[in-house]
Amino acid sequence: MKINDNCVGCGQCVSFCNQGAIEVKGKATATAACIGCDICFLYCPVKAIEVSV
Amino acid sequence: MKAIIIGAGLGGLLSAAKLSQVGYQVEIFERLPITGGRFTNLNYRGFQLSSGALHTLPHGPTGPLTQLLKEVNADVQIIRSDQPTIRMPLEKSNPNYRKGFKDIFFNKFFTPLSNKDRLKIALLIVSTRKNRPSGSNLKAWIINQFKDEWLLKLADSFCGWSLSLKSDNVPLEEFFEMIENMYRFGGPGVPIGGCKGVIDALEAVIIANGGRIYNKTEVSKIIVENGRAAGIFAGDRVYEANLIISNLGHAATALLCSEALLDKTYASYFKMLELLKPSAGIKICLAADEPLVGHSGILLTPYAKRINGINEVTHVDPNLAPPGKHLTMSHQHIAPENLKNLRVEIELGLEDLKEIFPGKKYKVLLIQSYHDGWPVNRAASGLDPGNETPILELYVVGDGAKGKGGIEIEGVALGVAATMTKILG
Repeated sequence: MKINDNCVGCGQCVSFCNQGAIEVKGKATATAACIGCDICFLYCPVKAIEVSV
Repeated sequence: MKAIIIGAGLGGLLSAAKLSQVGYQVEIFERLPITGGRFTNLNYRGFQLSSGALHTLPHGPTGPLTQLLKEVNADVQIIRSDQPTIRMPLEKSNPNYRKGFKDIFFNKFFTPLSNKDRLKIALLIVSTRKNRPSGSNLKAWIINQFKDEWLLKLADSFCGWSLSLKSDNVPLEEFFEMIENMYRFGGPGVPIGGCKGVIDALEAVIIANGGRIYNKTEVSKIIVENGRAAGIFAGDRVYEANLIISNLGHAATALLCSEALLDKTYASYFKMLELLKPSAGIKICLAADEPLVGHSGILLTPYAKRINGINEVTHVDPNLAPPGKHLTMSHQHIAPENLKNLRVEIELGLEDLKEIFPGKKYKVLLIQSYHDGWPVNRAASGLDPGNETPILELYVVGDGAKGKGGIEIEGVALGVAATMTKILG
C-alpha cells in the first residue's frame, strides 16, 4: 500500500492494523511488517491509502 | 416522511435519533466501516483511544448534548468531572515549569493577579454578563483591559483546549457566549464507555426506531429538483427523500450538489464557503502506570510551549485502559503557519509533556494530528454559517455548523437541536 498526501496523521489506520505495521507522526508510514492486507484502506477517513490492484 | 442522513458522525446520529423518534423513516449513509466519525473509540493495545474528541462533554451531565441524548432516550451515563485545574510555575515570572509548579483551581484563575486586577476581574465578571463586550477578539480585549501576561497565557490555553484556536482568533461575542454557556450548563463530564458509549446508545435508539445505517456506502451526489433536495446517489442507486441532513460540513456538502449550485443565485453562499477555515490540533495519547494528572478534570497548561491542556478520563471510567493503567491525553492547537512543520509541533508537544510530568513514568501510545480534511473543527468556532443551505430541505449539522457559544460537541448538539426546531417546529 501507498500513503498519499491526503494523510493528516490521525492514526485511525494504526488502530485497525492487525500487524502493528503502521507508524504515525504527523503522517502515517508503513513499516517492513506490512503484509499488504489493505485493511487500513477501508478505515482511512481521508482516502490517503492507495492499494495496488 | 423519509429522511436521509449523510455521514454517521455525532451530528448525523443525533439527527437520525431525533427524526426516527418522531416518525421519520431514516436512512444513514456512512463511507467508513465504523460509525461515530471523530467521536468514537479506537481500540489500541487495550486502551480506548479516540478517533478525535477526548472522551469529554464540555458541559457534562447538564449540557446540551446530554439534554438531547435524554430527549431521544439514549442509554448512556455521563459523569461530571472533577474541577479543572491550572498548572502554574512556582514563581509567576518563570517562563515555564522547569523550576517547579503548583496547580490552582480553574475558578480561582485570578489569584495570581495583583489586587487591583483582581478587583477589576470581579467587576468585569458582573458587568460583562449584563453588557456583553463585542466587536473585537479575545486577545485584543484582554490587552486593552489588563497589563498582565498571565491572562493572555490562560486565554490561549483555554481557547486552545476548547476550540483549538488562539485567543486572537476567537471573536469576543463567541467567547462571552461560551462563558454564558458555562454558567447555563455547568462544567465538563465523561461518558461511561468513552465517545463510543454515546455512539452505541444513539445507534441502539435509531435501530429500535426502525432506522437503517449503511456503512461502507459513500454518497456520490445530492439530487436537487427545483431548488429542493430530493434524494441521493449512493453505490449507483438512487435513494429518494423528503429531507436530507448532511454531517459533512458546508463545503463538502456543496460539492455533492455542485451542479445545482452553479446557478448565480448561490454565488454568495459559495463565497462564504471559501472563508470557512478548519481548526487544527494534535492529540498525544499516553499510557501511565500511575496517575499523571491525578483527577478526572481538565488540567490547563498555559506555561507549556504548545500543549494547551490534558485530561485523564480513566479516573471516571477505568475500563478505558487495561487494569491498573491510566489513559492520559493532551491537546495542542496548531497555528495555521505551523501546519507545514507538523513534526516540529509534535516534538514541542512531547518536550512539554516531559516538563509537565517530570520524573513520571509514561509511554507515548499514539500521536494523532487533525487538520484540513479531518480537522478538529470543520469551521472555526464563531465563524460557521449555521445549519441552513440555499437548497430547501437540505441542512448541514456537525462541527461545521454549530450553535453559538457551543464548545466542540456541545456546539454540535446545539446545532442539531436548532435544526430539529426548524424542521419539526
